[in-house]
Amino acid sequence: MTTLTTAALVATLVLTGAVLLLLAAVAVEHARRGRRLAREERRRAELTPLVYAALDDDEDGAAALARLEAAPASLDDLVLDLLPQLRGADRAALGRLLARRGVVTRAAADLAARAPWRRGRAAALLGNAADPGQTDALTALLADRAPDVRCAAARALGKAGDVRAAGPLLRALARSRRVPAGVVGMALLDLGTPVLPDLRAAVTDPPSPAAQALAADLLGLHGDVEALPLLLGLVADARRPAAVRCSAATALGRVGVPTATPALGAALAQTAVPALRHAAAEALGRIGDDDAIDLLAATVAGGDDAVRAACADALAGAGEEGRARLAAHAWHSGRVGEAARAALSNRPRPRDARVRRAA
Amino acid sequence: MREALTGFVTTLNWTVLGYVLVLDTSMLLLVLFGARRVVTNLRWSGAEGLDRVFASPLTPGVSVLVPAHDEEAGVLDTLAAVLSQRYPLLEVVLVDDGSTDRTFALVAERYGLTPVTPRWTADTVVEGRVLSVHRATTGDPLTVVRKTSVKRRSDALNVALNLARHPLVCMVDADSLLEPDALLKVARPFIEDPEHVVGSGGVIRTANAALTDRGAVLEPRLSRRWLVRIQAVEYLRSFLLGRTTWADADALLIISGAFGLFRRDAVVEVGGLDPRSLAEDAELVVTLQEHLRRAGRPSRMVFVPETVCWTEVPETWSVLGRQRQRWSHGLAQLLWKHRRMVGNPRFGPVGLLALPFFLLFELLGPVVEVLGLVSVVVAAVLGLLDPGTAALMVAVALALGVLVSTAVVAVEEFTFHRYRSGADLRALLLAGAVENVGYRQLHAWFRLRGLLAALTRRDPVWTAMPRTGFTTAVAPAEA
Repeated sequence: MTTLTTAALVATLVLTGAVLLLLAAVAVEHARRGRRLAREERRRAELTPLVYAALDDDEDGAAALARLEAAPASLDDLVLDLLPQLRGADRAALGRLLARRGVVTRAAADLAARAPWRRGRAAALLGNAADPGQTDALTALLADRAPDVRCAAARALGKAGDVRAAGPLLRALARSRRVPAGVVGMALLDLGTPVLPDLRAAVTDPPSPAAQALAADLLGLHGDVEALPLLLGLVADARRPAAVRCSAATALGRVGVPTATPALGAALAQTAVPALRHAAAEALGRIGDDDAIDLLAATVAGGDDAVRAACADALAGAGEEGRARLAAHAWHSGRVGEAARAALSNRPRPRDARVRRAA
Repeated sequence: MREALTGFVTTLNWTVLGYVLVLDTSMLLLVLFGARRVVTNLRWSGAEGLDRVFASPLTPGVSVLVPAHDEEAGVLDTLAAVLSQRYPLLEVVLVDDGSTDRTFALVAERYGLTPVTPRWTADTVVEGRVLSVHRATTGDPLTVVRKTSVKRRSDALNVALNLARHPLVCMVDADSLLEPDALLKVARPFIEDPEHVVGSGGVIRTANAALTDRGAVLEPRLSRRWLVRIQAVEYLRSFLLGRTTWADADALLIISGAFGLFRRDAVVEVGGLDPRSLAEDAELVVTLQEHLRRAGRPSRMVFVPETVCWTEVPETWSVLGRQRQRWSHGLAQLLWKHRRMVGNPRFGPVGLLALPFFLLFELLGPVVEVLGLVSVVVAAVLGLLDPGTAALMVAVALALGVLVSTAVVAVEEFTFHRYRSGADLRALLLAGAVENVGYRQLHAWFRLRGLLAALTRRDPVWTAMPRTGFTTAVAPAEA
């Protein structure tokens, strides 16, 4: 037998041994998993009624809570699954239960763990537990070296509900280790209307253009009438970045006050930035007062293709009056008529985004 | 003369054996690295913030583009799965690409389609003629385009792209079923890394024999056909673990056409999908990589192994042969078109790692494997083969191949554990072993024919796959 054939024989035996080991491991895992899942299901079935009973604000609830404190570890997973679905007193009660069982303390310690997933999971848990004592630790995590952990920390701050986090969240948009606007935006929305002063401050004295654009977007989503002068100033200020002006225009549409119509009309007619014209057209459609409809109807007849389409869509969504004005254009041949017909036949149906989200 | 022939055949045999061992070892490494990433991702399970992505009004909208040619068997299930996605803002653009069956009639009846004037949002080149555009009257955000077929999937997708309104476009095959959170999961990277991510894809798994109800996969089951079972292992190896590793190395070349999400502006910027390509999904990814990297712009492609799209795979050798021939032909087209990227450090890991790997092991693999089989036969005929040595060499190669397949099934069992029954698990393990005897060799032959078709510059022909539809639990989707 040559060296080569000996080596081949040894390699075959080693590989076959590895295959057999893997097969054994798979068989054991398959069998164990089945038993483990059945056991967990049984425990959950036992614990779930106790958890719901513990949410009751009476003697039975207090008794159930006392029994849960000594429950096995699978209770923690059950409570952690339930926590994001709860609000108010129920959430606070379960948060206290987790704190008493040491889950919150362990999670706080895990914020400094080496593995990013441990830090991220710990942040998510603390966010769900809504313990205001953890705000500083979570804020520090906004500058974590792992992007996933930074996002988890931002989401946790939003869920925790401590408005002190608003400033750090807005500043996290501009650091070298930044948190993306989509994540910060949702966290700020989770914090609710108490952060409106911070958002207005971010519009007037922005830590970064990204923060300014996001703050304008969020003020619009909140429909904050008090922010109207600030938003009007942004739309009119040609020195501002286009993204900021677009956000401000969109926000004005969402606030929906007719006093914004002249500024939006000016943006639609005068600016050379297509995205801003588009945003202004959409915003005018949302406001939908007579002046806005006049402006949109005039621009449908005379704008370039992209702006014409945006104005036509805006008119189609601006109630009966807007659709009537559009219908007058729909008889025309050429691009104006085509844009009007497309907007009328493609206007949003009842099952819009809001309905989907609510469902 | 005989001595020279002996030397040549022996060298060839050893070269082929060495090649197969290197190939299988590379696959094993891809599987192991992929498994590591999958385990890490699963540790985040429940803390990824999907509920916040769903609740956020800032989540970007998605236009789902569905090309369909003679898809009456499954199109309603596919649409049901897409339209019931847990995603805040989406629209679906289905393109009936010259179907000769009841594809359009079924969709029209279910969704009460009415003709509308189209609103074009881009003008990528389309060869087929658009016959009409329709919209659902049932309240579903569904637009349907009827067009003449030019026998290319890319043409249908380009029409859909021209109608898409949202900033992200998701391409989904009309014989595929998305899981309810699929869009949320693949869209998450666009929210968490909006400056860099251009494309994102999920896992493709075999849907044949899976129990479904109105587009939802109730119970994944393994088909009784061995050909499908082997493909199930193959998909786990290449589409789950392989792509996970490539994406981790920032060298992902393929986001499957059955389920991929892209930034719409980037796709429009490169002119949509290449109409001449037979591997238009990979072609789009590589074109985007080339275009963006040349311009010094970010071009990150992400793979999300937790996201699942279930799709029908071929159930007969002839259909499988045509499919794999087309893939190989398409890969050859792609590597030729982007040959300047191969080995070019300017294109980062894509140029230095992925493209050379695909050239050496995916494109040229069948040449070496078929040549190896022929040389063994020649050696046996000429009496040059020592049966003992030959058996040992075959045993090494087989053992390594079986180890790779078993490792793949083990990773599946330890992580996702989709196939609950022990019988399915045993069948999967056996399929992984059987794959190395017969299937692998025939597969190499199919791929070699695809390569030859590309080398002889045969006209690319997109052949439709016969559909059998999904196994429904309660009643057919159209009921």
